[in-house]
Amino acid sequence: MKRQIDLGLLYSRSGSYVLISEACRLGVLTAIDEVNADPALDIRFTPVERDPGGNLDLYGPLCEELLQSSTARHVIGCVTSSSRKEVIPTLERARASLWYVVPYEGFEASDHVVYTHACPNQHLLPLLRWSFERFGKSAYLTGSNYIWGWEMNRLARERISEAGGEILGERYLPIGSTDVERMIAEIRATRPNFILNNLIGQTQYTFLRAYAALGQLDPHFTAQSCPVLSCNLTECELPAIGEAAEGLIAAGPYFRATQGQPTKGRFGSSHEASGYAAVWMLARLLNGRPGAEQLPISSLLTPEAAAQIRVDRHTHHTALPALIGQVRAGQFEVIADFGRVDADPWLTQARSEAGQPKLRVVP
Amino acid sequence: MKRRVRSQNLGGARAMMLHRPHPTVQALERQLTAIGLQVEPCWPDLPPSVMTADFVFFDADYGHDSQFPWEAGEAPMPLIALIGSEAPGRIEWALNAGADAQLVKPIGGSGVFSALLTARAAFDARQALAAEIASLRQRLDQRQTVVRAVGMLIGLGKSEDEAYAQLRAMAMAWRISFEAAAERVVAAQRPPRAEGGRDE
Repeated sequence: MKRQIDLGLLYSRSGSYVLISEACRLGVLTAIDEVNADPALDIRFTPVERDPGGNLDLYGPLCEELLQSSTARHVIGCVTSSSRKEVIPTLERARASLWYVVPYEGFEASDHVVYTHACPNQHLLPLLRWSFERFGKSAYLTGSNYIWGWEMNRLARERISEAGGEILGERYLPIGSTDVERMIAEIRATRPNFILNNLIGQTQYTFLRAYAALGQLDPHFTAQSCPVLSCNLTECELPAIGEAAEGLIAAGPYFRATQGQPTKGRFGSSHEASGYAAVWMLARLLNGRPGAEQLPISSLLTPEAAAQIRVDRHTHHTALPALIGQVRAGQFEVIADFGRVDADPWLTQARSEAGQPKLRVVP
Repeated sequence: MKRRVRSQNLGGARAMMLHRPHPTVQALERQLTAIGLQVEPCWPDLPPSVMTADFVFFDADYGHDSQFPWEAGEAPMPLIALIGSEAPGRIEWALNAGADAQLVKPIGGSGVFSALLTARAAFDARQALAAEIASLRQRLDQRQTVVRAVGMLIGLGKSEDEAYAQLRAMAMAWRISFEAAAERVVAAQRPPRAEGGRDE
């Protein structure tokens, strides 16, 4: 007889970043179906969903309502860092946990959050070092106007300056804005070696299409001499970008076409894979432990349990592959592989940055 | 002044936690460990090894001056007060002890990282100010020497303006401070051979 366990889902099913929400949600629901159908497990998840509709101010109240109206103590959800920060006080009061399955800017290790996607020492830092060698060190930084873009660009500015590079421009747009002309004009005027793209949603799609159009006018602005680099772009958003996606470079823990991985082709994107992995991690923590579903995550993560599901007990982050992919003929191909990298959310461990590439560079 | 806040060298830093074992500070220990610091709880005394610690967190509720092996306000590292009771007397004591930042108990998952960076920035700023004040004091103390050096040069037939200009030229040529040049002039008890002097 399986134990029924309510599992909260807090994804925006409309709004600027809906493609990412839907990818994560798909991974989560796939895993829930598998767990529920698995006779070897004594648990069965019942999803309890709330939809903030892309409205930042609804995350806190809806999370609270979800926790009060069900027995769920675990919530999977949130895409933007702003929304994650909105729900943490609610989680603390309810002694509940959030499984956060998208890349973020680091500098957090809440006792009430498990971070199953990458942080900067797993995405931005390997990507920058790799790019310095290939393209140069003068950069143009872009971002949507909230914590992800601000912090990613701050870190990039620090690392580029340390490496003796130059920041030729840095500009932000409000979430949802499509007013990219000035950015494009500045990029055209400053001719950087690469562009760091921390824009999200519609702004990002509009920017990438405008940049591809600029490349038609001036061949400097193409992937060979001035690529666009991202740390949160996955296959799930490529349809919205269309042909302008060709040549885009992104860091991530998984790409659909990853060679030699047992999960090759299984998930549409790392967002989907990360949502899927989170549900299975939780299932392993709760399986065979009646009543465990009411425990806070800090109690669930015993040393043995943490080792089994590969979550760091101190930071609640996961070790992940650090890969670099490039869109070629419409899909991401892995072009560099830095191996599995432990998360270092505070960037305090000098050794934690991915070292030299293990030279599995695909031509 | 615009500060750049850096977090890289927090990894492996040592933090002493002067607080009796208590649930209100468990989260502090966890958070410090997550950030990458080594945490050493101690109560009621700080061991001698505290002198090489990078941060000291102290209990502002039950703490007292004799727990610290240094004069109040002269800790050789950043101090962070752990405040439970917000009684004015306790806050005053924590400030006089030299708290560079504070955390309010019970300590949750947030605030620790910003307290570390704030305390270190405040400590560094205080150290830099203290060094600058010491240097200014020293220059003040040397006023008499400058007056004597100028007097000696005037005695050799210079005007006051010329005497100052010559001292300044010597300081530049020797790459030392104006006051140090005056000291040399006085020590030599005679004027240098030529304007601009000669490098030693």
